[in-house]
Amino acid sequence: MTERLVVSPSPHWKTDKTVSGLMLDVVVALMPAVLASVVFFGWRALTIILTSVSSAVISEAVYEKAVKREVTIKDYSAVITGILLAMNMPPGVPLWMPAIGSAFAIVVAKQIFGGLGYNFVNPALAGRAFLMAAWPLHMTRDWLAPGFFGGVDATSSATPLAVLKGAPGGTLPGIWDMLLGNRAGCLGETSVIAILMGGIYLIWKEVIDPRIPLGFIGTVFVLTWVFGKPGALFQGNAIYHILSGGLFLGAFFMATDYVTSPVTSKGRLLMGIGCGVITVLIRLWGGYPEGVSYSILLMNLVTPLIDRAMVPRYYGWKHEARKEKTL
Amino acid sequence: MEIIAIILGGVLINNFVFMQYLGLCPFVGVSRQLETALGMSGAVVFVMTMASAVTAALEIYVLAPLGLGYLRTIAYILVIASFVQLVEIFMKKAAPGLYKALGIYLPLITTNCAVLGVTMLNVRRSYGILLSTLNGLAGALGWSLAIIIFAGIRERWRLMDIPKTLEGFPLALISTGLMSLAFLGFQNLFKAAFH
Amino acid sequence: MKRSVFYDFIKGFIEENPTFRLVIGMCPTLAVTTSVVNGFWMGLSVIFVLVFANVFVSLLRKVTPDEIRLPVFVILIATPVVIVELVMKAYLPAMYEILGIFVPLIVVNCIIIARAEAFAFKHPVLNSFADGLGIGSGFTANLILISAIREFLGTGQITVGSFRFPQAPLFEPAAVMLTPPGGFICLGLLMAILNVLLARRERKMKAQAV
Repeated sequence: MTERLVVSPSPHWKTDKTVSGLMLDVVVALMPAVLASVVFFGWRALTIILTSVSSAVISEAVYEKAVKREVTIKDYSAVITGILLAMNMPPGVPLWMPAIGSAFAIVVAKQIFGGLGYNFVNPALAGRAFLMAAWPLHMTRDWLAPGFFGGVDATSSATPLAVLKGAPGGTLPGIWDMLLGNRAGCLGETSVIAILMGGIYLIWKEVIDPRIPLGFIGTVFVLTWVFGKPGALFQGNAIYHILSGGLFLGAFFMATDYVTSPVTSKGRLLMGIGCGVITVLIRLWGGYPEGVSYSILLMNLVTPLIDRAMVPRYYGWKHEARKEKTL
Repeated sequence: MEIIAIILGGVLINNFVFMQYLGLCPFVGVSRQLETALGMSGAVVFVMTMASAVTAALEIYVLAPLGLGYLRTIAYILVIASFVQLVEIFMKKAAPGLYKALGIYLPLITTNCAVLGVTMLNVRRSYGILLSTLNGLAGALGWSLAIIIFAGIRERWRLMDIPKTLEGFPLALISTGLMSLAFLGFQNLFKAAFH
Repeated sequence: MKRSVFYDFIKGFIEENPTFRLVIGMCPTLAVTTSVVNGFWMGLSVIFVLVFANVFVSLLRKVTPDEIRLPVFVILIATPVVIVELVMKAYLPAMYEILGIFVPLIVVNCIIIARAEAFAFKHPVLNSFADGLGIGSGFTANLILISAIREFLGTGQITVGSFRFPQAPLFEPAAVMLTPPGGFICLGLLMAILNVLLARRERKMKAQAV
């Protein structure tokens, strides 16, 4: 039974990393994106984030109390789920949506399976997919045009990806606006620079493995460059494609989730590439303008299979075999 | 083009388990271990493909010309049942290990509603023999994909302490729901190219 | 000891509830429960098939050799299914279209073959009749319960013919409940909740007995 738990090759070394410490790093890394969302979409963004986070934390506490398990809200994982779900919502959604979405994410996608570490899909993404299937109009139409600090128009505005896919009445923002985040989109996905700050912090702190985001973004870049323009190869606007939608947010913060991504380095690279392929498939030929969240969910599903296919050899297995002989 | 549409449709877009509610009993029943899931997948791919071909031939050469359409259900189920018997006898001789592993599930393929389901869908879409066979194969591959993914996930559950009230079907259904949410991402894939 | 016919009828609702206790017949349970009306007609069809099959299996149980009982069952089940198909096609063509392949698929509904094998093949005609009626009604009750939940959450109201309750939806309906993911999750949660309630009841009864 215990051998199943050993998934990395020994020798192991002890670190002072703890679950809540790692999770706190992620919360810190998300702060620039949270700030950017408030800058571009006003205080409304903050109310959505706060609603989502409180619903996540309360659901976690209530469920764990109800089934008489240890209450784990202090490990910050519910806070992260709450923030990530909010980051994945259009800024114009009614407030009951983040509340329901977070409760679904925590209870159905995570706690029912036994809590942190046992869920097989990323809870925030499951919450988003649920909201997307439940109230598709809100999730695909409640966009707001960005404006500095609450200067948000009430008129809805098409996202760059929707425009790329042929939505009427939209113009593409310039590259600088895309980098800064001055464009329509989900709360936390618009500012590539803010997300990158958080992502680099996580890589520097060794919280996430750069293979997943690099594999993910690199694959999207190559595939959209090759196939991005209908009827012509190698002429797609790849830079625009990687900067739009939730690619950076998904690649750095959601595809890298420990619990639902592979444990080996090769497996992680495969995870990144797989996410990239599915994202491009959905973006260019699928039924939705954006495919990042579905691609990560789908790769979550095959993560156990990837891990199984890539179990590393035990370090020093020869030695162990010899010992068995002498026994 | 229709060939690609049928294959993608069966495997990803209209996956039997996740989108059409077909073949759920064996999907939950045989997914505890990857090895048995793989064996069952093999059996289902073989039976479903062949059953599609045989029933399509039966429809085109016997039932339709004689105007016996109303006997379809009875005729199909008998054909499928005898076909499964044949596979069983063959497997017992040729692959006794696999036969042992699949145990009671092999005869249960008869009552796997995915098999009869796909033959009924073939008739409704008035596919010929070739397209029916392809549709059977695609549906079976989609079913296999679903059960292999689920078996991978379920093998991890051995480590966890599942409350009695959730064990078995409740947890399996909720997981299937989450998987099906992810598969919604494939909705309308290549729709513009196909229509 | 002669079994009570009434018991054989009533056990289908709770003790041997096909969906929640025996856990069989999942595919139609999920496929047709997008509206109460669909669930009702599907349930009615299953009751007819189940009673028909049970009665004839029981009648022929003494003359049917063990070795060929399964093919015999299949024919005794397929016959009423064909009857249902033809009748429904003639009188309820719209419903026949909605239920689609799940009407002919009653043939492979595990509930029916399981009752033939586990009950009707071993019991007298009257008991088998009661068993079929009871299990079938239990199944129908489940379908109506599940479809009521799904229809209410998914469309905001329950519509039967021209009757609507409530008149206008009180909340924004969650379309997901009518789709496969919603169906799976709804049924899974419902099963879990019922299991918790039943476990609690059993514990209470044990405590009282002591």
